[in-house]
Amino acid sequence: MTNHDCTIFFLPGLGFGAASATPFAAALGDRFRVIGIDLPGHGSAPDVVNGSVNALASAALTTIAAEADGGPWLLAAHSMGGKIAALVSARVLGGHEAVFGLAGAVLLAPSPPSPEPMEDDKRDLMLSWADNGPLSEVDACEFVAQNVAASLVTTAEQDAITQVRQMSPLAWRRWLNEGSREDISAAVGVIDLPVVVMAGEEDDNLGASVQPQLLGTVYPRARFVSLAATGHLLPYERPHEVAAEITTFWDETASASPQVSPEWGRVIASHRTGVEARALLVRRGIADDANYMPRALSPEQLATLRALADRLMPQPETHRIDLAARIDADLASGRGDGWRPSELPDDTSAYRLGLDAIVSVWTDGAALQDALIRRIIAGEFVTGAPWSGDVFRRWFEDVRNDLTRTWLAHPASLARIGYDGFATSGVGAEPAGYVSLGAGVRDPWEPTDLGALLSDTANRTGENHGGDDPGTPTATGQAGKETTA
Amino acid sequence: MNLTDMRTYAQEDVVDVVVVGTGAGGAPLLARLAERGLRVVALEAGPNFDPDSFSNDEVEAPRINWMSERLSGGGAPTAFGPNNSGWGVGGGTLHWGAFTPRPDIRDLHLFTEFGVGADWPVDHAELTRYIVDVERTIGVSGPTSYPWDPEREYLEPPVDRNAAADIMAIGCARLGIQTTDAPAAILSRDRDQPHHGRRRASQNLGTVHQGERYGTKATTAITYLPSAVAAGAEIRPESMVHGIERDVLGRISAVVYRQNGQERRQRCATLVLAGGGIETPRLLLNTGLANSSGLVGRNFLAHGAVQVWGRFDEQIRGYRGYPSALISEDLVRPDGVDFAGGYLLQSLGAMPLAYATSLVRGAGLWGTELIDALDAWRYGAGIGINGECLPAENNKLVLADEVDEWGIPRAVVTFTPGPNEQAIDEHATATMARILTAAGALETRIISRTAHTLGTCRMSADPGDGVVDGDGRSHDIPNLWISDNSTFPSALSANPCLTQMALSLRTADRMMR
Repeated sequence: MTNHDCTIFFLPGLGFGAASATPFAAALGDRFRVIGIDLPGHGSAPDVVNGSVNALASAALTTIAAEADGGPWLLAAHSMGGKIAALVSARVLGGHEAVFGLAGAVLLAPSPPSPEPMEDDKRDLMLSWADNGPLSEVDACEFVAQNVAASLVTTAEQDAITQVRQMSPLAWRRWLNEGSREDISAAVGVIDLPVVVMAGEEDDNLGASVQPQLLGTVYPRARFVSLAATGHLLPYERPHEVAAEITTFWDETASASPQVSPEWGRVIASHRTGVEARALLVRRGIADDANYMPRALSPEQLATLRALADRLMPQPETHRIDLAARIDADLASGRGDGWRPSELPDDTSAYRLGLDAIVSVWTDGAALQDALIRRIIAGEFVTGAPWSGDVFRRWFEDVRNDLTRTWLAHPASLARIGYDGFATSGVGAEPAGYVSLGAGVRDPWEPTDLGALLSDTANRTGENHGGDDPGTPTATGQAGKETTA
Repeated sequence: MNLTDMRTYAQEDVVDVVVVGTGAGGAPLLARLAERGLRVVALEAGPNFDPDSFSNDEVEAPRINWMSERLSGGGAPTAFGPNNSGWGVGGGTLHWGAFTPRPDIRDLHLFTEFGVGADWPVDHAELTRYIVDVERTIGVSGPTSYPWDPEREYLEPPVDRNAAADIMAIGCARLGIQTTDAPAAILSRDRDQPHHGRRRASQNLGTVHQGERYGTKATTAITYLPSAVAAGAEIRPESMVHGIERDVLGRISAVVYRQNGQERRQRCATLVLAGGGIETPRLLLNTGLANSSGLVGRNFLAHGAVQVWGRFDEQIRGYRGYPSALISEDLVRPDGVDFAGGYLLQSLGAMPLAYATSLVRGAGLWGTELIDALDAWRYGAGIGINGECLPAENNKLVLADEVDEWGIPRAVVTFTPGPNEQAIDEHATATMARILTAAGALETRIISRTAHTLGTCRMSADPGDGVVDGDGRSHDIPNLWISDNSTFPSALSANPCLTQMALSLRTADRMMR
């Protein structure tokens, strides 16, 4: 149904509407579906009940949920929109929103979750511009001029000024008095998401030099990009660089995880899926950190586990899960499965010892590696192993099981094998469970690859899967029961 | 469950009975003792859950399982964790499969019949009367005419069959094996549960093992425990018992437990241990009590639970609906075999991660073969057994040198199937493969498993041959009782939970004699 790789929801900066996405959207081309959002009081959007960041985020999420197609999407955000994007991300990652597919964020000179650094006289001056209604042409010109490193080309400048003048003075005052000063750090927390932060070197308050300290702890995976000879209005000053960065970010970072089809994404996003279940799937669906630093294992042990994972749970060259990193994170968190073979030490110690033994006999070449794996599984003693062949086999069974479960818990894996039971946990589903239980059939809300609708198979329910066997009246009875369910 | 207005007792009060554990062993007894006017306190190691906090995500669902590590050894190490250990008010009934066959009378007389295993010092007719009581109380669905017990009555009609049940019915019919809808503690009609409220009829969720949020599956937390609290029982969650005190006469005088990081002590006139087949012997071994027989922790039993899965043309997706909707008791005493006892058959649907673990641990798959098997999962229908297990010298629970988060030595459980278990396993594997092939399976796959934790404080008429008597009372300490599946002398071919709840009521009645 879609022919784009990814949707980009753009949250503009103070004064600007959805139209401020136009320059970089044009530069991006057809691979990306760009949806600019008029935040409350901006563009054509009316003001909302209050000026809190939460109210702005709610408005943004309403549009995102309405426009989402179930496929992957990025948040792009400029300045004020960046602060809103932080809360949007937190709410999406928490499973609270009826969306799925958030893959990363591209933040342009973003306002941080903490109170935005701004001098009082600057704030007072900006507030004074809205004393008597919408900003005047002169004040809007001044606002744009203050925020660029060099004059924009005439068409861009005029477009920017038009948008600034279009905004509601209430929204302007609210942001300066409330939204920008609000501290939403606690609500946002730490956002474990691929993020790139772009900022200009000539931006007074939210420039490249301050962004790492403002956002480093909020977005531990953030990459910071510094733009020379650039002020604050990146969407107008640097649309081509923004587009290039988005493309690179998507290709090399945000799209690295196995992709969930839009149809399955919509089931996860739907009210049939509970908040917690959705949060888990949203988070597991996000690309792993290519720079992941192990917390339980050494870097060499992690590398060994990755090499093992490639043989034990093979994945394609692209769109992969870093199974080893996810297991390391589980080990570091102390999560276990409630038991272990009695001859083995605790899970983390066993992993360290076992992986050290494997690396000493690991060789290049899949055939040799597989031969080693077969020997371990057969319980043959491995040279240098800390345990007998049988104990080593049992440890290795734990490793195989951990890799398998980690792979399978990813939403793309669950979709691949045909499991949609996560969508039986929502408060809105009635019934919460299944109506069609027979072979080859599915309920209307289920993805189409899971079978035919009972209504489409009405003529064959009496004869499906051998249900006409004379010795099985109960099976036939069940088929009839389903038809009437 | 709602504990806000329950009656409470002071620690210095000498309450009539302290019950350790709130699952199938502790809860029915707690309710009955409270209803008879006794002052009772239940101590539960895990938290008191709001059912809305159950997760059907298999990675997160084990919040209702005992996840403090246990150590497993032997030829078929028992997988603990999500498989067979409860955690929280409701104990193991929070995660149980709710499969409720009644015990076959022949299984209670295994030694008499075969000269191996052990007889139960329990009268089958009396046990059945208690079972009927339990079935009425918790709500059990089943077929109105039960082929192997025509007089049996189920008050609720059976739950819907899923595709895996249809497959097993077809295959069995073609081989002349009788099947019927499985008895299950899953409501097929809405029900108002006294002191709890509305319980909803089945919505064909397949996630019964992950915790059930609609009251469809009977747990003690929505049946016996609300009745117990209404009758004046106190339930203390997050209370891990690690010590037992005795008076000068050697009788139990108090239990010592940790709650919210604080050491606490509850005085009591009588103590009932109902922590299950691992925690009860662990506590007794740690305190050194009630073990004159030397049998605490001995004779660990695990049901044979081998599965065979068939691959079919159409998508089966057995994660829909009650996972075990079909039963056959035809193999409780198979013809022409040389093993003791037998097994029940049940149809199987499986959750994805549980199935994947089975493929890894039980079928030895890895690499592309594993991926291919996972891709074929949706086309798979399974059949599994619950098979008899004989007590054996080397299958046992002992204490490790290592201690857990409460400072208690961890359990080390050793289990190796003996010749009888292997013979049952082989017979069952062949039977199930034939059924699936008869139903049209394109290929079949065997998955090795065991289930349940039984026998570690077994009951016996002879004090030298067990830890408790046929009523559940310690042979050594008159005011110490055990009410959990550690008392099972043999495993039975029936799944243990229903029998355990019946024994719990029976022990309560014996205590009040």
